[in-house]
Amino acid sequence: MPRIERSAQVSWEGNLARGTGHVSADTGAFAELPFSLPSRIGNPEGKTSPEELLAASHACCLGMSVAGELSGAGSPPEVLSLTARVIMDEVEGKGHQVVASEVDVHGRVPGIDAAEFERIVAVADAGCPFSSLIRASASVTVRAHLDS
Amino acid sequence: MADRRANVKWNGDLMSGSGTIDDVGSGAFGPLDVSWPARSEDVSGGKTSPEELIAAAHASCFAMAFANGLAKAGTPPEQLRTSANVTFVPGTGITKIALTVEGRVPGLAEDAFVAAAEDAKQNCPVSQALAGVGEITLDARLAS
Repeated sequence: MPRIERSAQVSWEGNLARGTGHVSADTGAFAELPFSLPSRIGNPEGKTSPEELLAASHACCLGMSVAGELSGAGSPPEVLSLTARVIMDEVEGKGHQVVASEVDVHGRVPGIDAAEFERIVAVADAGCPFSSLIRASASVTVRAHLDS
Repeated sequence: MADRRANVKWNGDLMSGSGTIDDVGSGAFGPLDVSWPARSEDVSGGKTSPEELIAAAHASCFAMAFANGLAKAGTPPEQLRTSANVTFVPGTGITKIALTVEGRVPGLAEDAFVAAAEDAKQNCPVSQALAGVGEITLDARLAS
């Protein structure tokens, strides 16, 4: 089995309340994205956050899993559109925690009905590495919508 | 409560299709291309992947938790440089995350630095969310 490694680099200056960080991807896909505490928990003001990066990861990961399951079932999608929302909240005694990830999966898939699409999305969710990981600590909700 | 969002589009089958992170709620990045070959082979072709995004989330969350712990102890950092390296085995999942940090922290001894880094690794929200990863390692060094 191949082992694939992916990395990111961060620099942070100052304390938590008033400091700022920058995050870059080793692939070069994105670089020097600023983040801070106020923009992480309040209005994002154009800045990303760990939770937003997790949302992007989940939507990508589940999208590939759904495409893979549909292809395996003989009905590859024309197009899938996914929206992931990652929710962080303050949990008593534990501080801030990622409490939920919710993904809506819209698909245009020739030759299958809504029930079959829903079944395949559920199989994909069960096999998605991100869903599996996050489900151990947070609630994961995946909703399937077949577009006609 | 913070609610953060991302939109992804995928066209075609897994092996030959491709996707795009169209946008994110903050507007901070996107569109970014993704594909299965770029995700599952050593050569990424400059494309990001779910694992790289997890690395970015973890490195940034860890840095914030560590900065917080150091500041609360009365020794705020001048600078922290963190990285996260995520190992993905297709068919198995994410098997390891290696965190590193090098920090410039006036007035702090090496062992206190390492202990605070370990605490941040244990308790940052992304570490908690990814607690199911089999192995999360930490290499913490105080810059001289």
